[in-house]
Amino acid sequence: MASFSIRKGLKIKLVGAPEPTITDAPDSATVAVAPAEFGPIKLRLDVKEGDHVKRGQPLFHDKHTPAFRGVAPAAGVVSTIEYGARRTVRRIVITRDENDVAESYPRLDPTGARTMERGALLELLQNTGLLALIRQRPFGKTADAEATPKSIFVNGMASAPFTADINVVIKGREIAFQAGLDALTRLTDGKVFLCLNGDATNAAALTDARNVEVHTFVGPHPSGNTSVHISKLAPMAPTDVVWTITAVDLLQIGHLLLNGEVPSHRIIALGGPGVAEGARRYYRARVGLPLKTLLDGRLADGELRVVRGDVLSGTIADSDDVVRLLDTGYTVLPEDRERHVFGWMMPGFTFYSASRSFASRWFGGLRRAWALGTNQHGELRPMVLTGLYDKYMPMNILVDYVVRAVLAHDTDEAIKLGILETLPEDYALCAFVCPSKMDLMGIIRQGLADIEKEGI
Amino acid sequence: MKKLLERHIEWLRPFFQPGGKLQWLYPLHEANETFLLTPAEVTHGAPHVRDQIDLKRVMIMVVLALIPATLFGIYNAGYQFNLANVVEGADFWDHVIKGLWLCLPIILVSYAVGGFWEVLFALIRKHPVSEGFLVTGLLFPLTLPPTQPLWQVAMGVTFGTVIGKEIFGGTGFNVLNPALTARAFLYFAYPVSISGDVWVPLVKGGPIAEGFSGATPLGIGAAASVGTESFVDTLSNAGYTLKTLFFGLHPGSIGETSMVAILIGLVILMISGIASWRIILSGLLGLTFASTIFQHFAGGPNLKVLAELPFYYQAMIGSFAFGLVFMATDPVSATATNPGKWVYGFLIGALIVAIRVSNPAYPEATMLVILFMNIMAPLIDHIVLQAHIKRRNRHVHA
Repeated sequence: MASFSIRKGLKIKLVGAPEPTITDAPDSATVAVAPAEFGPIKLRLDVKEGDHVKRGQPLFHDKHTPAFRGVAPAAGVVSTIEYGARRTVRRIVITRDENDVAESYPRLDPTGARTMERGALLELLQNTGLLALIRQRPFGKTADAEATPKSIFVNGMASAPFTADINVVIKGREIAFQAGLDALTRLTDGKVFLCLNGDATNAAALTDARNVEVHTFVGPHPSGNTSVHISKLAPMAPTDVVWTITAVDLLQIGHLLLNGEVPSHRIIALGGPGVAEGARRYYRARVGLPLKTLLDGRLADGELRVVRGDVLSGTIADSDDVVRLLDTGYTVLPEDRERHVFGWMMPGFTFYSASRSFASRWFGGLRRAWALGTNQHGELRPMVLTGLYDKYMPMNILVDYVVRAVLAHDTDEAIKLGILETLPEDYALCAFVCPSKMDLMGIIRQGLADIEKEGI
Repeated sequence: MKKLLERHIEWLRPFFQPGGKLQWLYPLHEANETFLLTPAEVTHGAPHVRDQIDLKRVMIMVVLALIPATLFGIYNAGYQFNLANVVEGADFWDHVIKGLWLCLPIILVSYAVGGFWEVLFALIRKHPVSEGFLVTGLLFPLTLPPTQPLWQVAMGVTFGTVIGKEIFGGTGFNVLNPALTARAFLYFAYPVSISGDVWVPLVKGGPIAEGFSGATPLGIGAAASVGTESFVDTLSNAGYTLKTLFFGLHPGSIGETSMVAILIGLVILMISGIASWRIILSGLLGLTFASTIFQHFAGGPNLKVLAELPFYYQAMIGSFAFGLVFMATDPVSATATNPGKWVYGFLIGALIVAIRVSNPAYPEATMLVILFMNIMAPLIDHIVLQAHIKRRNRHVHA
């Protein structure tokens, strides 16, 4: 066990941290699946409207990887299949049965996963759709069962504001967690790493995890990003394949192995200044639950934005969105359109900034918690300040040059500069502090997509 | 006040929006609007929250840092005028008013003409008006003598803005520092107006103060030949001691003379974290290194008397300090990598001294050295980048 101290970065303190208690979320009569969460797949439906489905029964598969299934999160009747632009399937809605019958798979005893065949394990994960919980680098896509990862990284810490904390979620699920870890060791010939927050009081099931290497990281965000862990523990060459999973997601796989059925619920963190006080906590929510049901009566007043994930790298949730298989939390922010008179030349006691050009920075601004909104605080400009981004990138990456290489469509150069070791989320802080308000994450996403298309 | 402004903006907006009568002037409206009120724009995706800092804030911090040098320059221009032309009984306010009379038109012309080009290009390109000219518009006049004819100021800032910046695509894309490009243009196009004894305006046929020469320390250095008297003494006989050099009540370009004013600016740039401390520090190191070496060889063949000066004199004469603090640190035209910044700053400091001590005709090297290093910056960064890639390869294949 090694301990790594990360110095570059920024801890953004945000009002509205979720209380570490878990409550049952209300239930709903319908659940839905949005295939979009599995990335750009060539979808083929396995059911039609009116079909009865069991929980865990395949709803659709990908034409290119037929083994991978999207499954029903609950048993019931397929009531509607909604189509979006160009006949893509936007949502599959299921009206739930009372007796939530599940597709059943063999149940393992707690150490059973240690002896499981790799092929059988992968087949199980593909059939249940839970393989999507394992992400593959480079590109951060759903793990490809054909690939053999060099190593697997389990992320047991969260440094971005309000990512679900494994220490809250793991309570009572310790055995499932270890079973999940054991299963991962079957999927790679290399090591499985579990990375924990060195500053947190970690559950024994985490610190004493067996059959894996446990390491701790301390320091500001992005010390909790998997890219940082990989770069410190087992750096990736451009041709390497590494699988990653969050510890919170691993619990779902552990649940599948021990209980022989696809979990119907998962634990969701709900936080942010836009959540009503008292409602900021963890919820045990049904997968496929409409977000409306979860959020109704739990939000503050005013125009709000629901972010799927954390404020730095999450995506905006639609009003008819549901709790997805890959969701671990939501952050709700006020849409802040307030304007300030001569804001650019005011001392700035009431503005949050990591820059010392604002007075707040001089009076403990970074130590206080802020109720930040979605205001961009400026308009898009060309890149001017140099070297600023590197203060927020604790990896051997020159951010300015990676961004420039992508903008110049020089994919070779971008690869040499290490873009494949990163995901857009690793540039979130750089974008946060960028005075030119550049869409750095979008640029990197585009760059990665271009490289994936061209091939490495 | 805020309500009023918001209503005013909302009332104006339809004229400039697509379909409005003044739609082609939209960038101008946008500049005006965001000058008065911070934009209401919300983030379009991740990251969903953003830091308060924007380019306006960055640029305004640089302008703020230039204000002490500007105010002192104005006072000093008036003071030098009254001193040289033997204006009896002139007090502080007389100096200020005379200084304003001399300098304000230069600054205003620079802003007006520079702003005109900036806005014109923004309108044609349908881009927002960039904040960069707020800095360029003030930086450029501070590098000029108070006697610079206004039409030349206009020519210079036109060249600097259009050729130095806009043809590359505007702020952020320029290779050279626009203010320095403007000054270099004037230097080569109208050398008579910007070199020699131009630093103090003299009234034609009026009385001239006894012993007045109007020469800058570098001017003295260029004219003096190696003699028995040490050059430090020569300077001190001409009224240039460490103390006078530090406070800066002597002839020179408007903004460059006072170390006090430049240091205040430096402090503002450092505490706000906008200028690179690496460039400043390595620039000073480069200057110290080179002047110590040349001091050692002072009196040797082909070396001017300026070689005799220790580094603390070298740092305070000419426009070294002003150029290093405000020009070399321009993030767009400087090197972008941290190791590159060390090399860039060091070479600026060292080359300035090298040219001062060896160039027989024109000892003021700051402007051209920084422009030269602007051109070299991508090359330095390229070398740093190749080393970085090599190191990365070792790391990922370890």
